[in-house]
Amino acid sequence: MKFAHIADCHIGGWRDPKLRNVGALAFEKAIDACVEKDVDFVIVSGDLFNTSLPSVDGLKMVVKKLRQLSNRSIPVYLIAGSHDFSPSGKTMLDVLEGAGLFVNVAKGEEVEGRLKLNFTVDSKTGAKITGLLGKKGGLERGYYEALMKEGLEKEEGYKIFLFHSLLSELKPKSLEKVDSHPLSLLPKNFDYYAGGHPHIVTNAKMDGYGTIAYPGPLFPNNFRELEELSSGGFYVVEDGVLEFEPVQIYNVFNIKVDAEHKAPKQVSEEIMDHITGKEFNDTIVTIRVSGILESGKPSDIDFKGIFEKLYEKSAYFVMKNTNALVSKEFEEIKIDAKDVEDVEERIIKEHIGQINVEGIGDKEVFVTKELMRVLSDSRIEGEKVADFEIRVREDMEKVLGV
Amino acid sequence: MESSHNTLSCESTWLQHLFLGSHGTQHCHQNVLVKLKYILRLTLLVIKGQVISGEYGKILIRQKASEKIELGELLVGEASGVKILLQAVNLLYGSQISQQNLELISGMSLEDNERVDFMDAELRNYNLAVLKNLITISDNNAMVCKRLPAFFSSVRDVTKDDLSFLTQPRDSLFIGNLRSGSKMLDLPIYLDGKEVFSHHILVPATTGRGKSNMTSVLLWDTLDKDYCGILVLDPHDEYYGRNKLGLKDHPSSDKVVYYTPTDVPAGCRTLKINLDLLKPGHFNGVVEWSDPQIQCLSQYYREFGNKWIESIVLDKPLKADFFEGTIAVVKRRIMSLLDLEFNGSELFCNGVFSLNAGEATIADICKELEESRTVIIDTSDFSGSVEILIGSLIVTEVFSKYKRYKVKGLLRDKPVVSVVLEEAPRVLGKEALEKGPNIFSTIAREGRKFKVGLFAITQLPSLIPRQILANMNTKIILGIEMKPEREAIIQSAAQDLSDDDRNIASLDKGEAIISSNFAKFATPVKIPLFEDFVKGSEKVEVKKDFGGISLN
Repeated sequence: MKFAHIADCHIGGWRDPKLRNVGALAFEKAIDACVEKDVDFVIVSGDLFNTSLPSVDGLKMVVKKLRQLSNRSIPVYLIAGSHDFSPSGKTMLDVLEGAGLFVNVAKGEEVEGRLKLNFTVDSKTGAKITGLLGKKGGLERGYYEALMKEGLEKEEGYKIFLFHSLLSELKPKSLEKVDSHPLSLLPKNFDYYAGGHPHIVTNAKMDGYGTIAYPGPLFPNNFRELEELSSGGFYVVEDGVLEFEPVQIYNVFNIKVDAEHKAPKQVSEEIMDHITGKEFNDTIVTIRVSGILESGKPSDIDFKGIFEKLYEKSAYFVMKNTNALVSKEFEEIKIDAKDVEDVEERIIKEHIGQINVEGIGDKEVFVTKELMRVLSDSRIEGEKVADFEIRVREDMEKVLGV
Repeated sequence: MESSHNTLSCESTWLQHLFLGSHGTQHCHQNVLVKLKYILRLTLLVIKGQVISGEYGKILIRQKASEKIELGELLVGEASGVKILLQAVNLLYGSQISQQNLELISGMSLEDNERVDFMDAELRNYNLAVLKNLITISDNNAMVCKRLPAFFSSVRDVTKDDLSFLTQPRDSLFIGNLRSGSKMLDLPIYLDGKEVFSHHILVPATTGRGKSNMTSVLLWDTLDKDYCGILVLDPHDEYYGRNKLGLKDHPSSDKVVYYTPTDVPAGCRTLKINLDLLKPGHFNGVVEWSDPQIQCLSQYYREFGNKWIESIVLDKPLKADFFEGTIAVVKRRIMSLLDLEFNGSELFCNGVFSLNAGEATIADICKELEESRTVIIDTSDFSGSVEILIGSLIVTEVFSKYKRYKVKGLLRDKPVVSVVLEEAPRVLGKEALEKGPNIFSTIAREGRKFKVGLFAITQLPSLIPRQILANMNTKIILGIEMKPEREAIIQSAAQDLSDDDRNIASLDKGEAIISSNFAKFATPVKIPLFEDFVKGSEKVEVKKDFGGISLN
C-alpha cells in the first residue's frame, strides 16, 4: 500500500498578485509527483483551499488535477480544515465532492447526542479511512469529546485517521502560545494519523497510537514560513515507511540583518553584501531587518535600490519585514508618494498638530505612523484574544513611551 | 434564681426596656413581633457555665450540670456590653467534698459494694473548664481580646449571629464549616484566597486525618474561581478521580488539566517533557551532586546548550578537563534518573522525558495556570526524585515568568499560582536545604512578592526550618499525634496556640484548626466529606452540533 499525505495547501492564500497562484502551482506539482510515484490514493488533511469559497483561478487548477487523479483511478480522501470549513455548510468542498472528485471522509451518524464516525474503505487497498474536520479556534474539540471511540478502536484492518488540529504532545516550542488538543482525544489503534493544521514537518510514534504525521504546507504561507521552511512538501507512505517529498516551486533566499547600533547606510551595505555576486533566478528573496538603528530612520535604508538590484538579478519576488526595526531618531523626511506608506505619511503631515498631545511634541508623525502600524497588526492564528490584546498594548506602550 | 433566657446582662436590660416601654403604650404590632422574635432567640441560647475564677487566657468556669463542654468548644461571655469569644482548652473535675473524703467514699463503693449517693450531687460535684480568650466582638466587628468576661457572668453557647462578622471575601477560599468542639455549625468559613495562596499554606497532619479529603475540597472549591491557578503534584493520583469521584466531575471540569504518563483518559494530556527543556539548575534538590559533578553538568550546558543531556549520554568530549570518573558517574546518574537508554549509536527515552515530543509541555502548563486552571500532574509512576525534578522544572518556569510580569507591571492582572506539594520536607526540610537552595525554598522565601505560593503538605513539620514554617502564613492543622510535630506548628502559628496542644492532639478526622494571618482568630473548622461536599453539583450537558460532518 502506498499513499500520499498532503495537508494545508491553502490555495489562494497569498494576496500578492505575484504569489496568488503559488498554492495552485504547488498542488499541481504535488499531484504530478503522486501520479509519478503511482500512489494508491491521496489523502488531504484539511485546508485544501484558503477559504470555503475560493476564487475561480485556483479552483480551475485543482479541479483539473483532481479530474486527472480520478481518471487514473487514484481516489482522494479529504477532510475540511479550519480555513475551508464553513459553519453555514456552503463550501466549495461540497460542490467538488458532489462532482465525484474526492470523498470527504468526515461521515457518520448521531447516536444519542454522540458522534459515531463511519469508515470509508478504499476499494483497491482495503484501507479504512475516517477523520474529523478542523474548525477555527480549535472548536473541533467538541466533536472529539462527543466521539464514540470504542468502535473505531476495535475495527480490524489498516486504519487511517485524518485530523486537522495541533496536538499538544507534538507542539514545537515556536508554537507554544497556540492552542492545541491532547492526543488522547483521538481514537487509539489506528495505523496512521494524517495530521494537518500546524505548518510543521514532523512525525512520531506514541504509545497506543500508530504514526502521527504532519507534512506541513505544500508551500510556505507567509514571510516567516518562507524563512523557516523555504519550501513545502508532503509524505509518501509506503508499507508504513514515510518519505518526505519536497515540492519546489521557487527558490527561497533569506537575508537577516541585525541593525543594532548601525546606521541605515551600513544596513543597506550589509544587505547588498548578501546579494553581491549571486543570481536569483526564480527566487523569492526575504529581507528581515531588526534592532534599533544607531541613527536615521528605517526609511533611510535604501530598500528601493536593494529591490531594484534584486529584480535586476532576476529575483521572482522580493519581500521585506521591518516590524522589529526601530529608529532612535523620530523626525521624518519627505519622499515621493510611491506606495501606501508614502500616501499615509503625506496625510499625517497634512493633519499634524491639530490635537495637542502632551509629551509627543515633534514626534507626532512618527508616533502616528507607529500607532497605525501597531493597530493594523492582526491576530496570529491560534493566538488568544487576551494575548493579542497584551501584545498590542505592550507595542503601543513602547511607541508612546509610557 | 436565674432562668436560662435572661442571664445576660445587656440583653436583659434591653428586654426590660422593651417590656416596660419607654414609648408608653404606642407599640405597634411590628414591634411586638420583634420582641417575640428576640425572646425566642434568647430562649434558644444555651447557658453552658459561669465564670468563677482564673486569669486572662485561663478563665475558669463551672460547667452547668445539664450541659456538656468539649475540648475546643466555642463559648461566648460578656463584659460591659461586648461579647467575648472564648474557647475551651482544658477540662477538669471540681467538687465541694475534700479529696480525702472522695477517696474514702470511692473506697466504700468499690470495696464494700455499698451504694453511696451524694446529697445534692449536681451542686457538690461538677466539671470545670479552662477557657482562653479568642476575640472581642463589638458592633459586628472582631478585635483582639484584651479583657476578661464579667466575673460570675454566664457563658453560653456560640451562635451563628455572634459570628456575623465572618463574611465571605470577594476572592474567597472555603476552608470548612465552623466547628465548636466536635459540633459542626452551619457557618462556612472563608478566607481571602488570593492572600492565603500567595502567602503559602502548610497542612500538617498525621496519616488518616483527612489531608486528601481537605485538599480535594479546597481544589473543588477553587476550580471555578478566576483568582488562582493551582499546580498539583499528585503522587497518589487521587485528585483527578480517574476511577472515582474527583475534579473531573466538577461542573467546570474544563478548567482541570490532567497530565499523566500512561493510560491517558480521553481529553487529558500525555505527560511528555522534551529533554531540551532541562537545565542543570532543575536538578537542585533532586539529586545530591558533588561539587565536581555540578561543575561537570554546568560545563556540558555551557558547551552544548539545550543538547547538553544528549551530549553527556553520547560521551561528547568537553573542552574543559574533567576526571573521567566524574563524567561517568554524571552520565550514569542522568541516564538512570531520566530513564534513558543508549544502544551505542542512538539514544532512546523510555519514560516521561522525550527527544521529539513535549517541547511545549512546560509552556502549556504555565499558560494553563495563568488561565486560572487547576493542573494536576500524575506523578504516581515516578520516583520521588523524578517527581521533584518535574515539579522543579515547571515551578522554575512559572516563577521566572511571574518575576518578568512584575518587572513589566503585568503581575496585577495575573492569578495567584499555588503549588500543591506532598511530603514537603523532601525539598523544604533542613536536610534538603543543607545541600543548597532549590526552587521550592526560593518560593517559600520570596514567592509571595510574585504571587506564587506553596501549598505544602507534611506529616513531619518539625523537619522544616522554623524560618520557612513562619513564612507559611496559613496553617490548616489537622490531627497530629506526635508532640514534637505539634510543638513545631504551635511555635510558628499565626495566632497564639500555646494552650492548644491537647486540642490539636484530639482533632478527629476532618477536624482542623486554621491558624492564619488572614483569619481573625485560630478558627476551628470541620471539613466536609468530599463526597457530601460535591453532592448536587452536576455537569450540564450541552447538545453538540456536528456541522460539517455528513450525517446519515
